[in-house]
This record gives sequence, C-alpha cells and structure tokens, in this order.
Amino acid sequence: MQKLRIKMTRFTSLGPGIFFTLIFLSQFFDARSQSNVIDDQTKNPEIGIVEHLDEFLPKDIYLIGEDSQKVVLTDLINKPTVLNFVYYRCPGICSPLMEGLADVMNKSDLRPDIDYQVLTISFDPTETLDLAIRKKANYLNLVDKKEEIARGWKFFVSDSASIAQATNAVGFKYKRTGNDFLHAASVMLISPDGKITRYLNGVYFLPFEFKMAVVEAGKGTSGPTINKILQYCYTYDPKGQTYVLNVTKLAGTMILFFAGTLFLFLIIKRRRKTI
Amino acid sequence: MQVSSPISQQVSYLEYQGKYKGLLGWITSTDHKRIALLYMFSMMVLFIVGALLGLGMKLELIAPGKTVMEAQTYNAFFTVHGVIMIFMIVIPGLPAVFGNFLLPIMIGAKDVAFPKLNLISWYVYILGAILVISSVLFGDGTPDTGWTFYAPYSFKTGTNMLPAIFGAFVLGFSSVLTGLNFIVTIHRLRAPGMTWSKLPLFPWTLYGTGWIQLLATPIVGITLILVALERIFGIGVFDPALGGDPILYQHLFWIYSHPAVYIMILPAMGAISEIIPTFSQKHIFGYKAIVVSTLAIAFVGYFVWGHHMFTAGMSNTSQYAFSILTFLVAIPSAIKVFNWVSTMYKGSINVQTPFYWAVSFIFVFMIGGLSGLVLGALTANVYLHDTAFVVAHFHFIVFGGTGYAFFAALHYWFPKMFGRMYDPKWANTGWVLFFIGFLALYGPMFYLGMMGMPRRYYDYLEQFHSANILSTLGSWVMVFGLVVIFVNLFRSARNGAPAPVNPWNGKTWEWTVPSPPPVENFDRIPEYKEKEGPYEY
Repeated sequence: MQKLRIKMTRFTSLGPGIFFTLIFLSQFFDARSQSNVIDDQTKNPEIGIVEHLDEFLPKDIYLIGEDSQKVVLTDLINKPTVLNFVYYRCPGICSPLMEGLADVMNKSDLRPDIDYQVLTISFDPTETLDLAIRKKANYLNLVDKKEEIARGWKFFVSDSASIAQATNAVGFKYKRTGNDFLHAASVMLISPDGKITRYLNGVYFLPFEFKMAVVEAGKGTSGPTINKILQYCYTYDPKGQTYVLNVTKLAGTMILFFAGTLFLFLIIKRRRKTI
Repeated sequence: MQVSSPISQQVSYLEYQGKYKGLLGWITSTDHKRIALLYMFSMMVLFIVGALLGLGMKLELIAPGKTVMEAQTYNAFFTVHGVIMIFMIVIPGLPAVFGNFLLPIMIGAKDVAFPKLNLISWYVYILGAILVISSVLFGDGTPDTGWTFYAPYSFKTGTNMLPAIFGAFVLGFSSVLTGLNFIVTIHRLRAPGMTWSKLPLFPWTLYGTGWIQLLATPIVGITLILVALERIFGIGVFDPALGGDPILYQHLFWIYSHPAVYIMILPAMGAISEIIPTFSQKHIFGYKAIVVSTLAIAFVGYFVWGHHMFTAGMSNTSQYAFSILTFLVAIPSAIKVFNWVSTMYKGSINVQTPFYWAVSFIFVFMIGGLSGLVLGALTANVYLHDTAFVVAHFHFIVFGGTGYAFFAALHYWFPKMFGRMYDPKWANTGWVLFFIGFLALYGPMFYLGMMGMPRRYYDYLEQFHSANILSTLGSWVMVFGLVVIFVNLFRSARNGAPAPVNPWNGKTWEWTVPSPPPVENFDRIPEYKEKEGPYEY
C-alpha cells in the first residue's frame, strides 16, 4: 500500500510535466505540418530552386567524370563541396554563373581540392564529356591559380535517370523549351557527409559569403580556429540571401563575458583589508 | 545588536561643511548619503511632472470625446509620463535613493566602493533627464510613441524623438554605473563577520538588482542607438521597407525592459523585507528562501520577455515557453509574500505608518501579480492585450509595488535620513487617502479592460463613461493623498521632533548610528558578531 502510494505520488508529480510536454509536442508538430501545407502550395514552382536544406543526397547518383570513369556522386564528396548544375552549351545564365564561380575560387583564400571542391554537372543528358572538358579549359583561362583550380573543380555529365534524381534531391527545377532549358542560377553547398547545408543563389558570389558557406558545410571537420569564430559571429539571412554579422549575438556574448569576468574577479581576488 | 564602536562624535552628513558651501557643497559631494538625497530631490521634481501628466490624462478621460486636450497632446502626455516614470523614477528609484543611503551603513562600510563614480552616475542621470525634457521643450512636437519607442513608428514619426531616445540611453548608463558600484561594494566592503548568509535582505536585493542592471541595460542601450541610427541614416535594422525587422526591436526592447520590472520590484521587496520584521519585532521567516527567491526572480526574469509580444507574431512553441516561464516567475514572488505574512504571524506587531505602507504593498502587489498571471495565460492575453486591463496591471505592480515600497521605505528610514520624526497622524491620513485613491484610480481599469476599452486612446465609447469617472475621481483623491504625505514630510524634516537612534527598534546596522548619520557612518569599521543573522529579536 505504502509502495503504491509512493508510486501514485510519483505519477502525480510527473503528470503535469508529461501533460505540458505532450501539449508542446503536439503544437510543435501541428505547426510544422501546417507550414508544410503552405510550403507545398506556394513554394513549388516549375522553374527555380526549392531549398532542401539539411537533406541528404541519395547514394545512387552516377556521373561520368573527366577521365571517362563512372562514379557515384556521394563517393566523391569527402570535403565541403560546391555543387552546381548547368548545361555546357547554354546561351543564358550558365556562363555568367560559371564565370562567377571561377572568379570567387580565384579570389578566395580557401584552397581548392584541399579545403573544398566544386562539382559542376550538366543536366542535359545529351551532352558529351568532350564538351565538358573543353568548357573547363575555357573557364580555367579566367583564373590565375590554374593548377589548383583545375584539381578542385571537376566537370561531369550524366544519364537522364541520375540527373533527374540529383536535381530533384537538391530542388533544382528546370524546363526544356526546344533545344534549350529554362532554369535558375544557384550553387549548393554539401557537407562531407552528403548533407545540403546552404544554397547560394545568383551568378556572383562574394568571397566572404563563399568562404562562410564552405566553412559552414565543413562543420564538424577540423578547420582553422578563425573559421569557427567567423561561423559564430555570422549567420545566414535567408531573405537577404547573404551572411550577416550577428550583432545581437555578439553584443550579448560580450556583455556576458564582461559580467562573468567581473564576477570571477570579485569572487577569486581576495578582499583588501579596509580600515 | 551590538556594534563594537561607541556612538559617533562626528558631525552629521547634513551639517558637514566641506570645501564648498550650500548647493555647491551638495552637488560636489561624494558622500553616498548626500548623493542619495540628490537623487531623491531630483526624482521628486520629476515625479511631480510625471504625476501632473497622469492627472491630465485622467482629466481628459473623465468624459468621452475631446475634453481638455487633442488626441496628439494625449499621445504626448502618455509618452512623456511613461518615459519619466519608468526611466527616471521607478527603475533608479529605490536603489539610487535608499540603496545609496543605506547600503554602506547596512554592511558596515564608510561609503560605496567608488564614491566618485557614484556622483558621476547622478550627473549622468541628470543629463539623461535634461535630454528627455528637452525633447518636450524644443523641436517639432513632443514624442508620441509611448515609452516603449516601438519601431517602425519611432523612426517614422515626425516628432522630436532623438533627444528622448538618447535621454533613455544616457539614463541607462547611470543605471549600469550604480549597479556596478553596488555589486563591488557588497563583494568588497562588507564588515568583518558579515558573511553572505548574514547580509540583510535589502542589500541582497540590491545585489540581485545590480546584476540585472549590469547585464540587461546595455541591451536597451544598443537598441536605442540602433533606432537613432535608423532615424538618422536609415540603416534598415528595424525598418521592414529596408529589409529590417520591427519584431526584432520588440524582442530587444523587452529583453531589457522585462528584467527592468525586476530592477524596480526587487529592491522594493527588499525594503518590505526590512520593514516587516521590524514592525513585527520578530525574525524574518525564511531568510534563505527570500534570498534564493530574490536570485531566482533575477534569473528567471531574463527569460520571460516574450510575454509582451504574444500577439506581435511569434511561433506557438515560443508562446508556450514564454507563458510557462511567466507562470514560473510567480513562484518566487509568492514565496516572498508567504514569508512576509508568516513573519507577522505571532509577531509583536507595532502598527506604524511604514507598516501600513508595507501591508498595503502586499495587498496591491498581490493584485498586480495575479493579474499578471491572467495576462501571462495565452488565451486571456489575446483578449486583454493593449486594453486598459494591462494599464491597471502594471500600475498595480509598478506604482503599487515599487511606489508603495518607496513610500514605506521613506517613512521607515525618514527619521534616520533627516534626524527628525514626522507627524504619524498626518502620515497615516496621507496613506489612507493615497490607498483609497489608488484603488479607485486603477481598479476600474481592470473592469474597463475586460469590457474591451483599449489603452492609449483619448476617447472611448459611452458605455465606459461611469467607470472612467470613478477612475478620474480616484486620481484626484490619490494626488491629494500625495500632497498630504509630501507636506507632512517636508514640514517634519524642518520642524519634527529630533529622532532617536533607533525609533522602531530595528536590528540592522543603520539603527546603530546616529540620526542623521555622521559623515563617515562609523568611527571605525564595526565587526559583525550576531550568530543568527540580521533579524535576531
């Protein structure tokens, strides 16, 4: 009887906790499912980018590399990776996008092939490897660090099934019109374990935001300490689509740091004898 | 309580002649007691201005439609009333006046840790006050945003916002400096033998308050500077047209301003915790519980700011979290109320003016606190947000809590501060008038809010008329009570009977030094020998 009472007391004391947790969770999931419905209605365009942040790339995307070998995309990703989709004979925004990439790789202090790699994949299954290699040579003419960038920037073609799977996985929506395609310009950052961590849209990238995105994709892997500080101080602003200095976080940290220092000083340093 | 030094032969701080005479002698003095009085008299002037503005607002609301002022004037009135009352009176109130005066004496020190900084804090305070007042006197129109300076209106309105914003920013500095001074004083200057567990409760609350001032005030400083930059340069932090986020402003503002409520209320609770044992002639019930609940309020108070923004756009999850935390913060407050009431139980109660104020503090604070829980509940909040109910709630807390405690403390320590006794009959009359007026003024606002009367409008529907008449009449009675209180105290400070060292048989150290205290408080630093802490009767 005594034991039962103790159990009952325990249960009653746990009761409110469980109750609140359940309410919390139900509301949380409710809110999420609601937002998904809205997402589906408004964020499913025919052409453009539907961000699939924090999702993993499928493991059965096959590509053909510059050396004519068939490879699995996720096998290639062993470091922070910038992924982009173009078609090599594109008369539109692909060239500015590729020039933008070449430009930022050239300007960035990150080392291609060591700190990160760029994988460019043609989403036109009819395109040949020959064209890919010629295009690569063409874009390498734009950069100074030719050898490094040649190693770190790899061009691929693929079959229609893999292309469909890859573009669906990253939310890259395009549409064929005659011989050409309507599509958006964007690059995706993939972490070494194959997770999509960031989209950088547009055709021009600031070296700083490029670096931040790469550092962010490499989260968990070792990097210079300064990168961790950068990551702490800057957050991605999804509306402005750039990295911004997180003033509030920094100010808060500084206030807490100084208050903590004062407290420790008062506690640790011995009192002066007063008269 | 025994003090190792005999009664001091030094001259009192009121009569002391330093390098300068007269007013100059006061405004250049680094004596904590003189600085306390400087604060007190500056606050009194500002309080009169704030109270007159409040009186004006109530007069406007005596009848629907325009009564004595235009809508824009009314907006200016509630803005300046709020800015003065919050930033210049209730936030610095008890720490700056009674904290300054009593903290060093209560812990056995000759002054605060940084006396010069203490004087600078007062100058900074005055500078802030001048800036705010200048926004009224000069420029294109008196600020009309309400004391919260909400974005985007605060940088869109054509009125003279910049001086008011800078004024509030400067006042924040004064608050930080005072908080820092007190923290260091309590850590460094406690007399030998006065351990943390023997520290009187008023210094304990000043300690908790000091940390809130130090940690939270810089946030509002940064925020107000951002609003100013937004107004001058259009940098787009809060302006949605420039990609900014007005909700961010509300978050930043309340991250400071909610803890600021605890800056106001904690020292008030500290003063009450001193008064109740003295007038019950009994050891405070649950000393440790009061200390822990003080620190708990100071800590949890940082995490409840979102309850000001339930209707401003916030996820369900955040709403639940903020609501539950708001309910949690009520627990330490309730512990204190329980302890005060338990202290009185079987005490030898000496019914004097400070005790009346302290007991009525508990009464109005309970109403304020419980109505806060109504607002902390999500569904009720949606209905009551921005109604007169909110105005009633925070006046019961801010004026009912801090204001009552201020008057309780003033009547309790007045004999010590001025060396004169006041007339208890007039003091009690003042209290009765004030108490009745207060309830009549703010009580109907609960009803009005529940019936749907919005706040911050100079006009209202006919159905709210009778309750508004009662409220306005209450304001007159309350102000009349204030006049009685002030006249009595002013007269007594000049002509009252000389006060003995310990008129109430208090047990803390301020009751061991002469009334008024000598310049250096103690001839030599006393040693604390009590084993049971500061309330041993």
